[in-house]
Amino acid sequence: MLKKRFWIGWLVFVFLMAGLGNSAFAQDKVYINGIDANYPPFSFIDKNGNPDGLDVKAVDWIAEEMGFKVKHQPTEWDAIIPSLKNKKIDMIASGMTVTEERKKEVNFSIPYNETIMVLVTKKDAALTVEKAKTKDVKWGVQRGTTEAKWIEENMLQKGFQFKLQHYDSAPLAVEDVINGRVDCAAVSTTTANEIIDKGIPIKIIGKYGQPDDVVAYAVRKEDTQLLNILDEGLKRLMATPLWKELNEKYGVKK
Amino acid sequence: MLRKIVLKRALVENFNWWSDDGNPLALLIFFNRNPVLPVSDLKFEPKQGFTVCGLTQGTSMIPQGLTAIKEGLPYLLEGALVNIAVVLGAMALGFALGLPLAVGHVYGNRKTRSLIGIYILFFRGIPLLVLLFLFYFGLFSLSGINASAFTVAIVVLGLISAAYQSQILRGAILSLPEGQMKAALSIGMSKKKAIFFVILPQALRLSIPGWSNEYSILLKDSAVAYALGVAELMARAHHVASRTYQHLYLYLTAGFIFLLLTYLGTKGLNVLYKKVGIPGYLR
Repeated sequence: MLKKRFWIGWLVFVFLMAGLGNSAFAQDKVYINGIDANYPPFSFIDKNGNPDGLDVKAVDWIAEEMGFKVKHQPTEWDAIIPSLKNKKIDMIASGMTVTEERKKEVNFSIPYNETIMVLVTKKDAALTVEKAKTKDVKWGVQRGTTEAKWIEENMLQKGFQFKLQHYDSAPLAVEDVINGRVDCAAVSTTTANEIIDKGIPIKIIGKYGQPDDVVAYAVRKEDTQLLNILDEGLKRLMATPLWKELNEKYGVKK
Repeated sequence: MLRKIVLKRALVENFNWWSDDGNPLALLIFFNRNPVLPVSDLKFEPKQGFTVCGLTQGTSMIPQGLTAIKEGLPYLLEGALVNIAVVLGAMALGFALGLPLAVGHVYGNRKTRSLIGIYILFFRGIPLLVLLFLFYFGLFSLSGINASAFTVAIVVLGLISAAYQSQILRGAILSLPEGQMKAALSIGMSKKKAIFFVILPQALRLSIPGWSNEYSILLKDSAVAYALGVAELMARAHHVASRTYQHLYLYLTAGFIFLLLTYLGTKGLNVLYKKVGIPGYLR
């Protein structure tokens, strides 16, 4: 008798434990925006621990304008599309580059910026773009990005002999340029300028050949309603003077 | 004298310390007591960082690093609370599942034992990261439960911990003298009563040192929840580092907080062990 009650109590306890996490997080329906929290100036965490950045502020504005609630959820970048498809998040507004490959998985809003990919080196390095493409030079790149894929497919698989090293975030790749573990890093001009503005001793040595791409918000294929809301909101935002102010504030050069 | 010159040579050759990069002022003054290179040849640009042994630092970077730590500390400490919540949740879940597993492993029949063996093999044999992704993107999504990354981290760590805790408890049960069970049976207790009132109260106390080990492992493993995007300490250190570019200082801070938590936790469990320990067994 006693033991039976004991085991039943035990089971209840286990289920309570399992349910705790779920119930504690049940909320009203709000759209969750998945961001790469390590991608300044598009999305990052500010001094007070709140999400900040061009995309965060833009989506906040759109949410208010179009009348929906939004929460910004830091998500690991190389798992961000699976997270979207698994409904862990509802949209990605975090400087995401539009590619054919990604278009098969998600729908993109109208573009609001462009990505120009460049190589950065230490400020005093003598490396040029031509020399960087030769044997034994080490490149750093953020894992799961368009640039990582492009370099893999259009350079390494076409016979270029340099070595490519993957990092969790663009700032970490640049950190290792400064540490000297890699000779250069492939980052967007936006990221590069942001880092240079912070006083980190790096310089842009030039484009390495990846075509320029546009940047847009991503939503699930079936979420056409949300896509329309975002498109409309972006159009309205870009028509206001605030859009230019935001771009200038976050140092996003078009 | 000679040694100083050799040391200076080494610095010059290995670190390019007189180049355009900027120099550690302190080293420069120290090694220039008997100058081979006149100070006027040395350039010092205080706005720039430089690299020593692969760590970005420098006289001018230290204040920036400290500012970054100071600014980021409340945010980091909130993250430490997330780690603690994950650890406590996983420890509790692991104990709740691990206790019946241990009892079944020792006293169960052959079928129970082999089932428990399979469970333990599964959760001990697969890397934590693989299990986290398997549960987060696989099992939970398939079953239609929309669990947050935080919940998944607790459940996965709890299930793994159950496997380990069952073995800690099993070891403790087996370490009790056989006479305890025999004596209990001989005074007319049933086997189940004997397990509850004689074996487990002793075994639980004996397993506390093993638990403090499990606590420190769980605490460190909780940092892996970073991969799912849980805003725990490590993820937050990365967030602040991405904004301030003071990676060294922030990871040092995160490491120190983890160290402190490990120390406090194991210390606390040790106190508990001393308090509830069985007098004859305490050393």
